[in-house]
Amino acid sequence: MTDNDVIVAEGIVKTYDDSGVPVHAVRGIDYTLEKGEFTAIIGPSGSGKTTFLNVLAGLDTLTEGKVWLSGKLISDMSGKELSDFRRDHIGFIFQAYNLFPVLTVEENVEYVMLLQGVPPIERHDRVMNILEKVGIAEYANRLPMQLSGGQQQRVAVARAMVSRPSLVIADEPTANLDSNTSGSLLDMMRRLNEDTGMTFLFSTHDEIVMRRARKIVVIRDGKIDGKPSSEEIQ
Amino acid sequence: MLLKLAWRNVFRQRRRTILTLLTMTGGFFLSSLSIGWMDGSYSSIIMFFTNNRTGQIQVHHEGYLEDPSIYSTISDYQMVGAFLDSIPGVRVWAPRIYSGALLAVRSPGAGSGNVFSNSAAASVIGIDPAMEEAATDFSDRIVLGEMLTASAADTSYAATGQIILGKELSIILEASVGDSLVMLSQAADGSSADRMYVIRGIISTGNADIDRNTCYITLSDAQILFALQGKVHEIAVMTRSLGAVDVLTGDISTGLSGRDLETDSWKTFAVEFYNGMKADEAQLKVTIFIIVLVAAMGVLNTILMMVLERRREFGVMKAIGTRPGFIVRMIVLEANIMGIISVIAGSIISTAGLLFLSKHGLVMDPPLDYGGTVFREMIASITPECYWIPAVCVIITASTVSFLPALKAAHTKAAKTLRTV
Repeated sequence: MTDNDVIVAEGIVKTYDDSGVPVHAVRGIDYTLEKGEFTAIIGPSGSGKTTFLNVLAGLDTLTEGKVWLSGKLISDMSGKELSDFRRDHIGFIFQAYNLFPVLTVEENVEYVMLLQGVPPIERHDRVMNILEKVGIAEYANRLPMQLSGGQQQRVAVARAMVSRPSLVIADEPTANLDSNTSGSLLDMMRRLNEDTGMTFLFSTHDEIVMRRARKIVVIRDGKIDGKPSSEEIQ
Repeated sequence: MLLKLAWRNVFRQRRRTILTLLTMTGGFFLSSLSIGWMDGSYSSIIMFFTNNRTGQIQVHHEGYLEDPSIYSTISDYQMVGAFLDSIPGVRVWAPRIYSGALLAVRSPGAGSGNVFSNSAAASVIGIDPAMEEAATDFSDRIVLGEMLTASAADTSYAATGQIILGKELSIILEASVGDSLVMLSQAADGSSADRMYVIRGIISTGNADIDRNTCYITLSDAQILFALQGKVHEIAVMTRSLGAVDVLTGDISTGLSGRDLETDSWKTFAVEFYNGMKADEAQLKVTIFIIVLVAAMGVLNTILMMVLERRREFGVMKAIGTRPGFIVRMIVLEANIMGIISVIAGSIISTAGLLFLSKHGLVMDPPLDYGGTVFREMIASITPECYWIPAVCVIITASTVSFLPALKAAHTKAAKTLRTV
């Protein structure tokens, strides 16, 4: 592991046994993600993309293996430690936006900083700054339901990035968006990646997303099946 | 943020929240009204019972209550009375003598001879007419004839005594005002105590059991008849406030210490009456518990629905680093916000209801017979208990029923929820 590594995963295995029948979602993956990468995880439905992201982010427990995130072994952390670690080091963007419907755009974005105990003035400045960057500052006082899908996902991007995490994980961020909106959202995310140096790792089977990724990791049947370039995908 | 989130979450599903608030407010209102009603009823019953008969406090010779002997007397009752007069909380006091006697009515057709027909055993109570009137409004309950007068003041009763009979006793004796009867008993000195009396009045106290076996003569007459000159068996004390009875009982007891006297409140000398009230209170508690339980079911249902609907949201909260404790606090706070709104709304509605019932009351038709005492109207009273007991019940209920759903929400598995919901 080097200082440049954001994620190092060694021999990670995740097997679900919810219904009594073992389902091997991840079958022994070794993976390293470096700082500043803008990487897409691709693969067919049920290939284990989401599970892979979840175990890397500490949202799901591992059956076997170890994961280091920003130099910390997260696979051995307690629930509370993991919770605090995710709050401080990982930003999440979900397929269905998952904004809090009762909070305004500004309040949604500042939520994580509130948990972190960032002072109000700094919170406000950072929120407005990131909302400017994602192009929705004018909607700061609106509720999520008053925004379009693309705008909501921009808020989600702002929420994921405002706390300046080491890693932003996005699970199918464009799945609910039309192609134009997807393209513009990915362009924006790529621009933020370039401007801030923040690391992005996202799962997708959207061609628009794949074209904009700088690295692509293919997962099939719970295993990494090569790392084709975006050109190769095209 | 916690309060903001909780407040806004409460009103996400307005219709459901309003229904829950109505349930909780209804629970508060019913509990408050029940307490006010029962408090008012109890106060009325206690005041009626004690003001009309027993007094709120009684002073006796030590041991008299356990063994009411004719010999257990208060020998210096005027001095005790002077002490009672010096206590600001004492409104008035009344001395009494108690004994038993056989009464026999003189036959109407007996002419000048002493032929007696109907007879009955009765309790004889010697009362000071003026003091008893001041204490219990005795004459208000005389249904036929008139009040006793001090023996010396009415010479027409000098030769024979004057007596008032309980209404039912007069029926048993088939006697009425103006009839003569003889009383046969034994005096404290062992001598025979007998005297002729003219019936001056018939009284109906509202308690048929008492009226069936009680007659009243003047205190001075009783003292002579039972050889108890200067003595009484009981001093009934009327207080200015029912709430001050316990304190006054202690004060009087302390002031009379060293005199072989005992001072008791109505809770002691009317213990059966008091226990009856306590039993009613227990019933009230059960009623309130049922009301609270019904309201709790409503709140629990709402909270469970809220938690179920927001599973994905809790998953997201957990994913982005929210600690379980935050989620627990948020949900419990949501339930408590509904509780507080219900308490405020319930207090307003309850105040209106209690004010109405405390002014107008409810006419009991048929009248309520409580321990032999008949009540024709009951009114509610507005006490702090009408508010704080339902308020505490509502808040505790809201916190309790929301805690388990909150724990469940706090332990949402982020990955599983986001994957499946």
